[in-house]
This record gives sequence, structure tokens and C-alpha cells, in this order.
Amino acid sequence: MKSVIKGGDAFAFVEIELEKDEAVIAESDAMSSMAADLDVQARLNGGFFAAILRRFLVGETLFVNYFSNNTVGTKRLTLVQATPGSVRCLELKRETFYLQPGAFLACTEGVTVGVKFAGFVSWIAREGLFKTVVSGTGKVWYGAYGALLERDLDGETIVDTSHLVAYSPGISLKLQLAGGIFSSFFGGEGLVTRVTGKGKIVIQTRSLSGLVSWLNPKLP
Amino acid sequence: MEYKVQVTRLADGHAEAQVQTAFAQLFRLDTDKAAKALSRLPLVIKEKLTAEQAAKYRDRLQAIGLVAEIHPMLVVAPVPSAPPPPPHEVQSATAPGLQLEPIAAPIAKEAVPEVASRPAMRSPGMAFKIEGRPDFAFLTVTIPANETLKVEASAMATMDSHMTMTTKMRGGLGRLLTGESIFVNEFTAQEAPGDIGIAPAAPGDLAHVYLNGDVIYLQNAAFVACAGDVNLETKWQGLVKGFFSGESLFLIRASGQGDLWFNSYGGIIELDLDGDYVVDTGNIVAFTEGLEYRMSKVGGYKSLFFSGEGLVCRFSGKGKVWIQTRAVEAFASWAHQFRPAKGKG
Amino acid sequence: MQIEFMHQPGNTAARIALRPGETLTAEAGAMIAMSGHLGVSTSTHKKGKGGLLKAAKRLFAGESFFLNHFSAEREAGEVWLGSALAGDMMQYELDRQTLIVESGAFVACAHQVDIDVGWQGFKNLLSGESLFWLKLSGQGPVILNAFGSIYPIEVDGEYIVDTGHIVAFNETLDFSLTKAGKSWVSSMLGGEGLVCKFRGRGTVWCQSHNPKSFGKSFGSSLKPRRA
Repeated sequence: MKSVIKGGDAFAFVEIELEKDEAVIAESDAMSSMAADLDVQARLNGGFFAAILRRFLVGETLFVNYFSNNTVGTKRLTLVQATPGSVRCLELKRETFYLQPGAFLACTEGVTVGVKFAGFVSWIAREGLFKTVVSGTGKVWYGAYGALLERDLDGETIVDTSHLVAYSPGISLKLQLAGGIFSSFFGGEGLVTRVTGKGKIVIQTRSLSGLVSWLNPKLP
Repeated sequence: MEYKVQVTRLADGHAEAQVQTAFAQLFRLDTDKAAKALSRLPLVIKEKLTAEQAAKYRDRLQAIGLVAEIHPMLVVAPVPSAPPPPPHEVQSATAPGLQLEPIAAPIAKEAVPEVASRPAMRSPGMAFKIEGRPDFAFLTVTIPANETLKVEASAMATMDSHMTMTTKMRGGLGRLLTGESIFVNEFTAQEAPGDIGIAPAAPGDLAHVYLNGDVIYLQNAAFVACAGDVNLETKWQGLVKGFFSGESLFLIRASGQGDLWFNSYGGIIELDLDGDYVVDTGNIVAFTEGLEYRMSKVGGYKSLFFSGEGLVCRFSGKGKVWIQTRAVEAFASWAHQFRPAKGKG
Repeated sequence: MQIEFMHQPGNTAARIALRPGETLTAEAGAMIAMSGHLGVSTSTHKKGKGGLLKAAKRLFAGESFFLNHFSAEREAGEVWLGSALAGDMMQYELDRQTLIVESGAFVACAHQVDIDVGWQGFKNLLSGESLFWLKLSGQGPVILNAFGSIYPIEVDGEYIVDTGHIVAFNETLDFSLTKAGKSWVSSMLGGEGLVCKFRGRGTVWCQSHNPKSFGKSFGSSLKPRRA
């Protein structure tokens, strides 16, 4: 399987070439174009209960699409997320990674997609009460609105709410006020997340909630 | 037009060591130098290329696992009828001492990338980098110990945990009327230098200018951050100019000495003006003091009503204008169909 | 006329350098900036040709009723064009063939290119695509815009493109609405719904993103509209 992410940070999309008998699993409505003879099946991801959990806890769709190549040739498939922004590919080798709700786009067979309680801190920080857990061996594609920046963390840093997209299991989140009471309220920063531990964090440089609060005053 | 090629990051699924080796071979560098060069992304590989040459460079870089971008190098003189004066004259005539900081490292003479100088180190201001350009630009500034950075409210995305924040009022009623926040946040690096990551709300680009006693006018929503010594004032444009230019009922006048960062909706195009140039009012981001501007129509009266351009801003004189490739009004009217109906939630 | 693009694919702008005597025809509202001395006129049609009927048809196709004409009369000049939404632009050189263009994708063309409106049948009602498409023919450069990156697919046989992702295609291609994969149930459950199946030989240009999906992803959080 060959895959390449095109379109830069602005409008990233994933082009995958499936060889004979290869398959890829993608979020509902992620396909934008494909060879006409690829097979597509809607499946409940990870069985009925897992799919229900994913639907209601992290807002992913109930069904995922299973694209498989049952021909003899190489077939192309193009996947995309709903919003503009960056997409990254994660190569898991018997590892686990946490994704924010809505960030998951697609994966290869061999990757398990589950749901985990993220804690009330994550919820208050507008990052979701639950998080998507990807584990196993294979490729995972995830993305978000805005460009994605990876930071290696060893210690602590502060991240504004709704900017954290993904993090490794060694990371923990705590809440705090951005400044004093007055500043936190009028400065527009409010609560921020204190991120501590050792591992990788991925932040998005824009957020849909930021887009909304930018656009709203300009609407008639 | 000339282009530059810039490496932004490692392509997904490539091992760093392999890419470094390939990069070293490609440019006949030793591996240490290559590794060092690649540790300072984004990195300008070559400037002043034709479109074809630039594409060739990009393809070669992509083949070894690097993500490369081609950016036009803009010096757009608006087709002057007289031959353009030498560049230093233009600068001194418009804004004495104005220093425009390129985002990336300077020109490499040969195909060997320049690794020694880091743009932020050469500037007299604070060290900074901009990632995610040009569509979702993200600014990281290193604030020296006990110095302060003024930042647009709500724009802080990440920061070191020893940074302190205070909120100040500024700009007065004008800002309130135009829907902008009337507060700015001041971030101070207590005792030790610290990094702050800034994400403006609008999807778009960031530009940096080091003010050295000169003046730049910003469209009201364009302010992102500035050093503590830069003065910001809100200027009423006058009813006619203000009313017809949509967003810019008020302009921000930035003066003094120090770094200034501003942002756009869409990409930024920097135009060196010398003569008569027309810019749609919704696409102005910033301009240097000394340029004259007035509202006018394009074409005849039929065009005024039906061209979709309405009134435009006509600049004259010498100076710089930063324009954005998209206008907010068009996005707002497109988004209308997705808004919830009143009363239904 | 020389055309260059900047800031591809995110928020692309086109810079068109006009030689003396050249005229560019652009969609109303597309101009970002231009040389001060260019002549601008607005009409419902191509200068000197066509008329109200064509303009009315264009309106149905979701395009503006009016076109702007930028002309460099005695002196060379330049025009910068943008589009309403973020996204890529492409240039296509027409050489006496016809390009079918999704309504809304048209930005500008050389003055001698003919703009007409074509009917693609009722299938478009179901697909949520526009009922009418623009037919660009003649000779000269055409500038199109899209939401997202533009990528071409060379079709030789059959190829599937999801609705909402088509920018333009050669007249030698035809498409029908169908399901993704073998089963209708699967296509509906999997959220793909109806897709377009292209047949024949030619190029279809796709946009990477679907503007409706993006609109729905944040639209419900916007402040409510009146009525």
C-alpha cells in the first residue's frame, strides 16, 4: 500500500493506492473519489457496542466504510476530512495514541479504534469527556481544522482549550486559570490546560470554535 | 515573477536519518551540516528561481522525503510608466529605516542551503518563528526575561508555564463598535525567557514588521501582537472613508520601536506601490504611512452597482500595501445558509 | 495575457498581466486589486455579443448575472483575482474544445472565450449539484476556482467521484448517479449516499473538500439568522 498526503496544511487529503487484497477503514463520508471497481462496505466499527459507544461518546459516525481491493490491479482511493486543515499519518507499532473526538479519519487493518474516558478536566477544557484511543500496528490518519504542530514534551506547558488534537499516553492534563480572575474573564483566555509528562502532543493552530467566534460578530 | 523554494517539514513516513543522508548527498554537504540545516525548518533552499526551476527543486526535495513549498518573491511595481527608481531610494522615500523581516532564512548563493543565520537572530527584536503558513499561520515568540508582549485577546494558544498574563483595556469605544475585543493581554516572561504560541482566530497568514520610528496603519481586525514599546492607537477614518470600507471604520495606527505582527483572512500579498493602484476595500490588511488613499468607484455608474466591487480604495504615492486574498464578507454570506433558524435553537 | 497563481492551494489568488489591447472577463466581485489605469466595464454579456438571455441562464447556474471586463488600453497592467471561499485555482487553455464547469467554479477567461450554460439533466437535482453547468468553449485561457486542492483524474473507463467534489470535466466524459460499491444499503449506511460515476475518456478535475460538509461542521454554532 502506498499513501501520500497532499494539499499542504490548508486542504490536506490522503491518496491511497490499494494493492490486491488490501483494505483501508475510513470514517463515514470520507471518500471523495475512487476507482469504480473498489468494493465498499459499511461496517459497525469494532462491533455493535464499540460502534454505539463511539457514536455517542466521541461523536463519530456509527458506521465506518471498509474499502477493499478485490481486483488484480492497483486501485486509487482519495480520503478527506470535512473541514479544511492538516492531516497526519501515524505509524503505530504495538503502540497507543489518544485522539480528540472527531480527529480520526482512517486506518489500516490491524489498528483498533476504541473509546476511553478522558476525565472531567478534558471535558471542561472543551476537549471532550471521552477520547478516541488508537492502538495496535498499522497506519492511522487523523486531522483537524488548522495546521497541526507536533511538540515533544518533557516537563510541562500550557495549551489553550480546544487546541489539543492528540497526545501520547504519558501525558496528563490539568486545568488552571490563564491569569488572575479579571484577566481570565476579560482577556478571552479563561481556562487553560496545563499539560504535563513526557511524550508527544499535537496542537491545531485554529479551531472551529475560534472560527465561529471570529465570524459571529461579522454576521448580519 | 521569481520564486523561492522552502522546506517546511519532513514528509510523513520518512525516517529522519535517511532524509538527512539523502539531503546531504543532494547538496554535497557533510551529514552533520545537513542535519543541522534540517533542524531549523522552515528553511529556504534557493531564491530567485523561475517557476520551472522552483518546481524542479521541489520535486527533488519531495523525492527524498521533504515537504517543500514554492513561494513567489514579490516585488510588484504597478506597471510604472517611468523606469522604477533604485530600491534603496524607494525605501528611504517612504519609510526611513523600515525593516521588513523575511520569514525564512536568506538567500543561498549556490544550491547549498544557508544554515548559519536564523532570521530571528538577525533582527533587533524578539526571536520568533511562524509555522502553518500561509493558511493557518501560527506565531511562536520567545520573550526575553522580564520583557512583555502585547497580544490580541483570545489569541494565546500555548505558553511556557512560568509566563504571567495581565489584561489591559485599549482602543476605547471604537473597538467595541466593530466587534473586536477592547482588551489586550500582556504576557511577561518572569525571571527567565519563555515561549508563547499565538493563533489568531481568522484562518489566514501572519506578517512581521520591525518598526523603527515609522508608522503602519492596520485594518482594525489585523492586530496580533507587538513588543511592549510599540504604540497602538485607534484612528477614526472619517465617515465617508470609514463607512464605505466596511470593516475598517477604524484603523489601528502602530508606531514606535519594536516588533509588530499582524494577520489576514486568506493569504497576504505584499505590494510595493509607486503610482496609482486600486484595492478592494475588503482586501486591505495594512499600509505604510505616506500613502494617499481615497474611496472611488471602478468603471462607470453601471459598474458601481452591478460589478460586485462597489467602492474601492484608490492608493497613490509610494509605499507598501499588504492585501489579503480573501474578503470576510463573501465568507459570511456563504456561511449564512448553514446558520440555524431563529427560534429553533 | 500571463496568468500566475499565489498561495496555492489554500487561499489562491490569480495575477493576470495584461498587455496593451487585451481584455479579461471576470466574474463580478472577483477583483482584489488592480493597476489604477485599467478600464473597467460591467455587462450582462460578453462585450459586443450575447445578451440578456445568456445572463439569465448564468443566473440559474448559480453564477453572477453580471460580468466585469478589465482592459489594458494603451498601457500594460495587472489584475488580482480571488474567490468567495478559500481554495485552489487552475488554469486551462481552451483550444477549440468545450469544458464543462461546475457552477460557481468560474473565475475569469480571456475575452474571446464563449460562456454558455449547459443542462446536465435532472440527475443533478438528486445529487445536490447545480442543475445547470457552464460550458466554456472557444480559444484562450480560463481560470477556475474550487474549495480545496484541485487534482485531476484521467478517466479511461469508469471512475467514481463523490457529489460535491467535481470542479470541471472534458465534454468527452459523461456521468451518472449511482451508489459507491456494490450495495445500496451499504452506500447509504456508510454515509456516501449518491456518488457520480464518470464514463468515457478524458479528465475530471476534483476539489479535495466538499464545501457543504465544512459548512455543516460549524454552521449550527453560528448565531441564528432572522427568518
